[in-house]
Amino acid sequence: MRPVRPRTAWKGLLVLAVVAVITVWAGFGVQVDVGALIKNFSNAADKVVLLAQPDYGFFPETLSALAQTLQMAVIATAAGAAIGLPLSFLASRVTDPSRPLVAVVRSVLNVVRSVPDLLYAAILVTIVGTGALSGVIALVLFNVGIVVKLISEAIDAVDRGPLEAALATGATWVRADRAAVLPQILPVYASQTLYVLELNVRASTVIGLVGGGGLGILIDQVRTFYRYHQLSLIILEILVVVVLLEAASSWLRKRLVS
Amino acid sequence: MSAAAPPVRGKQGPDTDIRARPVLVRPARPRRPGARLVFLAVTAVVVLAFWSVDIDWSQLAGFPANLLRYLGLMFLPPDLSTLPSAFEATVLSVQMAWLGTVLGIVISLPLSFLATAGVGPAWVRWPLRGLFSLLRAVPEVVIAVLILSVTGLTAFTGALAIAVGSVGTLGKWGYEAMEGAERGPSEAVRAAGGSTAQMLRWGMWPSVQPEVLAFWLYRFEINVRASAILGLIGAGGIGKVLADNVQFRIWDAVGTLLIVVVVVTVVIDLVSGALRRKIITGAWR
Repeated sequence: MRPVRPRTAWKGLLVLAVVAVITVWAGFGVQVDVGALIKNFSNAADKVVLLAQPDYGFFPETLSALAQTLQMAVIATAAGAAIGLPLSFLASRVTDPSRPLVAVVRSVLNVVRSVPDLLYAAILVTIVGTGALSGVIALVLFNVGIVVKLISEAIDAVDRGPLEAALATGATWVRADRAAVLPQILPVYASQTLYVLELNVRASTVIGLVGGGGLGILIDQVRTFYRYHQLSLIILEILVVVVLLEAASSWLRKRLVS
Repeated sequence: MSAAAPPVRGKQGPDTDIRARPVLVRPARPRRPGARLVFLAVTAVVVLAFWSVDIDWSQLAGFPANLLRYLGLMFLPPDLSTLPSAFEATVLSVQMAWLGTVLGIVISLPLSFLATAGVGPAWVRWPLRGLFSLLRAVPEVVIAVLILSVTGLTAFTGALAIAVGSVGTLGKWGYEAMEGAERGPSEAVRAAGGSTAQMLRWGMWPSVQPEVLAFWLYRFEINVRASAILGLIGAGGIGKVLADNVQFRIWDAVGTLLIVVVVVTVVIDLVSGALRRKIITGAWR
């Protein structure tokens, strides 16, 4: 016997209709204009040809910016991870006996995390001046948000036995956390710090677009002067650095958590 | 006292007869030369970065006071008269993110089917996977700079940049989900004489649908942030308005814009997160 045909999924169709309506509304909002796009694109075909031919002679000039990008990423990761660790303990119900404090720390960091790093950089550039420092501060702000979210979730999931045992011996919260919780989350902490480093290398390549130092400043220069050969070389460099770092980092992280 | 009495370290109480008690020897600290080496290397890299970077760290001394001053300028009080225009700009950013996400989904879904083992041929599968990892390696902003420098700066090209940037992650998540799906239903469709398209629709899709839908929503959350950033380099929306106001140092308007960004992002994250949980677990929580 043939099985009964399933009823038409009205719910699914309704969701699809809502999605379609929002998409059309969004399309009007951003003024979709395929005609202009095609016209622009045929005008820009020669630019694409230029982009396909990186200017390798430009490489020595990019080295200092590349180094600054990596320095910014390392510094921001170190600072973000260092500031984030104690805050993570305050943001977990396991290690923080004060519920209101947990709520405050969590909501402040939720707010901090909801602003993208480049927006921070754009504002900080006017406060501390253009250069690597504003980029580093922007990255640190963003990193603290991520580190605390990831690590406090790891702390939430630890085995509470050792912590209770330590507290029962009369240890203070700080000492109990240090002896009974920290060793449990250390591999996750190291792994997430590497993940944050990955994020930072990507972000620090572009944070210079708003004046934050690193390769981004160079991108901004060559793009305002339409030097497409050089632009494509910089992008190639970013690609190589990001791919190498991610390969190394994911290999290390697999070893850390398993 | 017998000669075999174990050595005892630490303080002893008034009761000196220790034989009846458990042995109180502290175990030797485990030695881990490898971990130590890694720790030293990491420290060296961090110190080197701090020492060699071209940053005048003394500038940091005045930073907290400065930051407070600017926060005061921004939020005490924010210029709420700019609220409507800030909201309008944010809506444009969200529209950009939405359109980019939808376009990214439309492009990536067929591609991720083709990249799934057992669906597409190997000579299509591997180049596609290469393309996905290439697109994931380049930061979205760089993709945007490329597209914008070729096609000009509009919100529409911003949405296109977001779409291209999304294809990498969406494609990868897609084929990974489909390869992790149960084989049974697909084989059953095949055995009943179904075509590849029928196998995908009735064998594969039902089992990966919740996961894939959740990925789409999550990518939309990421894209909302990305679209704000694209505005900074000229694609319009909240980022552009923010950059303009920062440039002209209209700080109380910047404060309003930041509040709107935070509120809109948090609300979208909450709604999207609730939807994702509903899709995955099947219940509103």
